[in-house]
Amino acid sequence: MQSTLSKMASIGMLASALLAGVMMQTTAVAAPSGMVSTGQLVQETRVDQQRSHVGAFLNRAEVQSLLEARGVDVADAQARIASLTAGELAQLAAQIDTLPAGEGALETLIFVLVVFMLLDIAGVTDIFPGL
Amino acid sequence: MRCCLQHKSVRLCLFAALVFFGLSACLSAPQTRLLQEQQPARLSSPVLLADVGFFPQEAYQCGPAALATVLAYSQQQVTADELVSQVYIPARQGSLQIEMLATARRYNRLPYVLPASLGSILQEVAAGLPVLVMQNLGLSRWPQWHYAVVVGFDLTDGTLTLRSGTRSDYVISMAVFERTWARAAHWAVVILPPGQMPLDDNPTRYFQVLADAEPSLREESMTTAWRAGVQRWPASDLLSLGLSNHLYGQGLVQDAASVLAQLLAVDASSAAAHNNLAWLMLELGQTEEAIRLASEAVRLDAAFTQTLADIQSKISSGK
Repeated sequence: MQSTLSKMASIGMLASALLAGVMMQTTAVAAPSGMVSTGQLVQETRVDQQRSHVGAFLNRAEVQSLLEARGVDVADAQARIASLTAGELAQLAAQIDTLPAGEGALETLIFVLVVFMLLDIAGVTDIFPGL
Repeated sequence: MRCCLQHKSVRLCLFAALVFFGLSACLSAPQTRLLQEQQPARLSSPVLLADVGFFPQEAYQCGPAALATVLAYSQQQVTADELVSQVYIPARQGSLQIEMLATARRYNRLPYVLPASLGSILQEVAAGLPVLVMQNLGLSRWPQWHYAVVVGFDLTDGTLTLRSGTRSDYVISMAVFERTWARAAHWAVVILPPGQMPLDDNPTRYFQVLADAEPSLREESMTTAWRAGVQRWPASDLLSLGLSNHLYGQGLVQDAASVLAQLLAVDASSAAAHNNLAWLMLELGQTEEAIRLASEAVRLDAAFTQTLADIQSKISSGK
């Protein structure tokens, strides 16, 4: 009971973190005009690193088997990572970094990923434009 | 964030150490094993940076002591006491990594976070740079955080030498160090005087270090650091753009433009470099060149379409 409750609480926290990322998407920067600043460049390099960090997470064998157990095609999931915004990537990458040991935590994170993909298909959210 | 080794935590540490050493036989240290198997030629002879100073820690203050050690070695006048107010948080009985980095910048130094590689630590030490490291001397679920400085190693014996807490030459088994370091997320930093380069060959990482340091370091120090980066990695668009932006910020438009022109002579694939050089050329009155460069930026990356339109309209309106 205790663990179910705490699992639900952590799912809630993850979901709201991801939602915050969705909201940031609407204020995304328009096409650059003027000179590209060092600050913009450094932000781009960090987003690239987070993207490959999340990509590497999806490449882990235990993650792939959990995804497959839920009927999610790993190649699809990889493709969707490419369309995450900077905010969502930062959240996901931070979640992966602070993931406590144990399969329960990993399952929670994957559950959230899958929920967001389903919400996307249902048209509730639009995180993965490819769907 | 609490540092180990002193007062009340001593007993706790001893117990944690007993538990830990009891377990260590069945724990792995993959990087140590690999290094000892491969014995890379440049790391084969033992190294000890004997002239790295020693700042014995007081109470839980391993953060200030370790930071003072590396700052003093990079020719900065500093004492552990003056760092206490900058990096030590009494309520947490420890120091945050982010504050350690920020404080190094306040002393006009570049904190370069190394990749999660034990070989990389040894390589920097062999090149004469002591490495600031974070360790978790306890267990993941029962952490005892600690900062220390790696000043030497012996790959044949499988040992590292640390300035650690109250011990000036603490010889630790490389495998034990690797495990305590891995539990602190492999955090390792070298403190670079502007212009000095790490051995680590990663222009993107160096660019990030400089971009983060830009607001804190002295202007001429940043110029030196950017130039050193461009000299080492002449084909890195990030570093050339960083140097160019830095010079432009000082009003040196012509210099900013020649940096980008030199980059494009080596590697003409960066849309951002074409874009920025277009604006600089416009400012220098070379309108045709500005339009040519902006068109090339759009060809490389359609996101710069607006730049071309803006430059054209500025030219046609006579600026």
